[in-house]
Amino acid sequence: MKQQGRTFLDRETKLAFLMVVPTFSVVISLVIFPVIWNIWLSLKPVSLGGLRGASLLKFNLTLENFRKVFSDPGFATVVLTTLIYTVAGSGLSILLGLLAALLVRGEFPGRSLLRGIFVSPYIAPVVAVTFTWSFILDPQLGVLNWLAINSGVITQPIPFLSQRWWEFDLMGLRLRLPLALTSVILFEGWRYFPFAFLFILSRLQAIPDELYVAASVDGASPFQRFFHITLPQLSTVLYTLFLFRFIWTFNKFDDIFLLTRGQAGTKVLTINVYDYAFGEFDIGASCAVAMVLFGILSIFTFVYLRWIVREA
Amino acid sequence: MKRIANGYKGERVSRERFELAIIYVLRFAGILFFVAIVVFPFYWMIVSSLKSLDELLMRPANLALDIRKINFRAYYEVLFEHGFQRYIFNSVYVSVATLVLSVVLATLGGYAVTRIYFRGQSFMSYSILIIYMFPAIVLVIPLYVAFSRLGLRDSIHVLIVVYLAQTIPVALYMLRSYFKTIPPEMEYAGLVDGCSRLGVIWRIVIPISAPALASVAVYTFMIAWNEFLFAFMFLDTPEKFTLSRGVVQIAESVHLSKQLVMAASVVATLPIMILFLFFERYLVKGLTAGAMKG
Amino acid sequence: MASLTLKGLTKRFGRTTALSCVNLHVKDGEFCVLLGPSGCGKSTLLNIVAGLLPQDEGTVLLDSQPVDSLSPRDRDVAMVFQSYALYPHMTVAENLSFGLRMRGVPKATIRERVLETARLLGIEDLLEQKPSRLSGGEQQRVAMGRALVRRPRLFLLDEPLSNLDARLRDSVRLELKRLHRQIQGTIVYVTHDQVEAMTLGDKVVVMCDGKVHQVGSPETIYSQPVDTFVASFIGSPEMNLYKGRLIRKDGCPHFVGSGFSLKIEGVQLDLDGCEVEVGIRPEDIRIGQGVSVALQVKVEMTSYVGSEKYMHGRLGQESVTVRVPREADFRAGDIAPLSINPDRVHIFHEGRRI
Repeated sequence: MKQQGRTFLDRETKLAFLMVVPTFSVVISLVIFPVIWNIWLSLKPVSLGGLRGASLLKFNLTLENFRKVFSDPGFATVVLTTLIYTVAGSGLSILLGLLAALLVRGEFPGRSLLRGIFVSPYIAPVVAVTFTWSFILDPQLGVLNWLAINSGVITQPIPFLSQRWWEFDLMGLRLRLPLALTSVILFEGWRYFPFAFLFILSRLQAIPDELYVAASVDGASPFQRFFHITLPQLSTVLYTLFLFRFIWTFNKFDDIFLLTRGQAGTKVLTINVYDYAFGEFDIGASCAVAMVLFGILSIFTFVYLRWIVREA
Repeated sequence: MKRIANGYKGERVSRERFELAIIYVLRFAGILFFVAIVVFPFYWMIVSSLKSLDELLMRPANLALDIRKINFRAYYEVLFEHGFQRYIFNSVYVSVATLVLSVVLATLGGYAVTRIYFRGQSFMSYSILIIYMFPAIVLVIPLYVAFSRLGLRDSIHVLIVVYLAQTIPVALYMLRSYFKTIPPEMEYAGLVDGCSRLGVIWRIVIPISAPALASVAVYTFMIAWNEFLFAFMFLDTPEKFTLSRGVVQIAESVHLSKQLVMAASVVATLPIMILFLFFERYLVKGLTAGAMKG
Repeated sequence: MASLTLKGLTKRFGRTTALSCVNLHVKDGEFCVLLGPSGCGKSTLLNIVAGLLPQDEGTVLLDSQPVDSLSPRDRDVAMVFQSYALYPHMTVAENLSFGLRMRGVPKATIRERVLETARLLGIEDLLEQKPSRLSGGEQQRVAMGRALVRRPRLFLLDEPLSNLDARLRDSVRLELKRLHRQIQGTIVYVTHDQVEAMTLGDKVVVMCDGKVHQVGSPETIYSQPVDTFVASFIGSPEMNLYKGRLIRKDGCPHFVGSGFSLKIEGVQLDLDGCEVEVGIRPEDIRIGQGVSVALQVKVEMTSYVGSEKYMHGRLGQESVTVRVPREADFRAGDIAPLSINPDRVHIFHEGRRI
């Protein structure tokens, strides 16, 4: 009897197995395997030209790649740039998303049109929007520089994406701005605020009206209602958004690569991975940088989750 | 904005009014600002693509588009001289294939990890969640090396499989959370009524999940359509380029003719925007539900 | 129609045992109600019978044939769910015909049977509607119809009335009883509502914590509960249950509770000095002096429920509920004499009836 009872269950289990196998094999072979192989490659002297050779499976492991990466005098700058880019880019996109969500909150005519417009930077292909912005910001042909020059705001065109430092006077102070990095961060804010916008908007709509009614009965003014009700209600979604945005901005390659190719002080870890592989043809060092990137990311995620779990 | 008059104190009322007025003004200004910064690049992309090279060089600060001077030459060149017809076809092919395969596989996998008990069920659904946090840049070099060695790298079909690995975990996660909201009784009813498991999926689960499937479909299509990194690294032969890869190609080959780059960008952007126009509701759902990779 | 037999059915979820060694026989055409508090395993039992859950041990037999290896579709049972589980993307007609279509019944027959069932339930006008447009009562009918139209060997009903409002529930209950008489089907009906169980069941199965406590006709369950669980679970207001001990006084057994004592009959004398529990239903206590030992109750309050009136008071240190005549008038603090018919006293030793 027991065996008979099992056969139906067995059929179900077998079916479930067949249903997950395709997904699982794709994920194993194209996600898990590359990560493991990345570790393997990072411990071997492999050059791009040597790819055709037969040395890929040999046990000639070494830490040489990591030594090379860490001994590069620019590496600390790259890590610092990555952190600045990530924190500022994530922060800016969330801030803009919060503002945008507050603006289109509630019911009014044209609201869904506005929502659609606000989301579009995120929907468009990254290639298209980076080239458009590069064109707008171009020092020779860019509309922004020409408009500014024509209206007398500036005398010299500003090479937004190709100059490392921009010096200017502000109330007698000589200030230096990392120009290209700032531009890239602003782009990051522009392109990814819709992500935060959508999340914050859906959270805003979930705040019960009674809270606001109760608060106004208690005598809270609109601004007080914002600071005492809206913001606390949003705290969880803001924390979560920062985690997501941090991870994805940290991993971002396309945007900077397409805007500046990592020139003019915008070289981040992902660009470093690419440069080692296709600039210096050193696959091993490239994989070593990828490992460093992965390591920093894991540590951040772990610490952040621990911290946020403590908070909540 | 809520207008709950607080008649308790006159001072309170005036503060309420004052702040509401400020909010009203700020809101108006804010909406204008956002619309301007969001719309302007798209406006400029289209306007520049319709100008001639001379016009762009001579009057770079001219924001307006002279209707009489609208020039479709750039589109002609992009489509017929730079091979964009082929790239459009490739992009459609890659995106549709990614969409269909990931919806099918994620439906099957998502259903199995939600509804059918088997050993390792919860492990599988958790590991899939973690996987989609893995950075693409960590994957791309090893995959580049592996596919180069196998001689398979420069292939559209390999690209589709790589995209699947990117989209399936998110798609599966989204569908899983939707499947969880379907009452199990609904499926029990189907089983008792004489369906097999697959029959239940086909006749009950899929029709009920149509909105979620639409979200997943639009979302995966968008990911595949916009993807740049893998297309850039993997494809060498121009006949195999997707639109994203094609736009980069054009930008690298013509330095001054920005109208060509802009026309190419419009060609790459327009289809996804039109899709967005029709399926906005589903795409927004997909973006928020799946916490997208971007 | 078929008979259903369960032999030693056991089911565990992790460390909790949902069913332990359940044996049951339901005759062909019998209306069997599984009654018990929520979480007692009655729905699990139903799902196992339907083949939706595999049991850990034991056998399910339909017409004496084991069906354990059959998938739900091959067992030919129909099920009605508490949530109705109507397919939201299908019209009422499609919902009704779904099971027949899955079994490849000819189209003409399907049409005929759907119409016939719809007529039987009075839902002919709703056939083209989607379930979301229907009221709760109409949805319930469609759910019933989906089971009826199939003419299965066995009906499994899982709390089919509990999502209806109280008034509707009463009328649907009667209708269900009539329907059963009409179709003569074998029904296993799960509920936590004792009124439903008592009015509908030919046979009532009282369950708790995965165990069957008592199987019997509604009358037996009510008048001869086998243990204290059944005694207290069945009946509203609840039976008065008192802990105490048996002693012998003047040659007769007496029950001594806290603050009162009671003469009882029909108990073997070897239980002298035993810890027991006695149970007395509110309607088995009379106000006024009787032949037996007089007891005194201190009135605390009365509750009036229309057809009946109950007086709540204290008997010694225990509380007591007594059904009193409707015209009886008590004030809090009154002292009233009580008499109890010794035949009607239920005595339990270590939880079991003696």
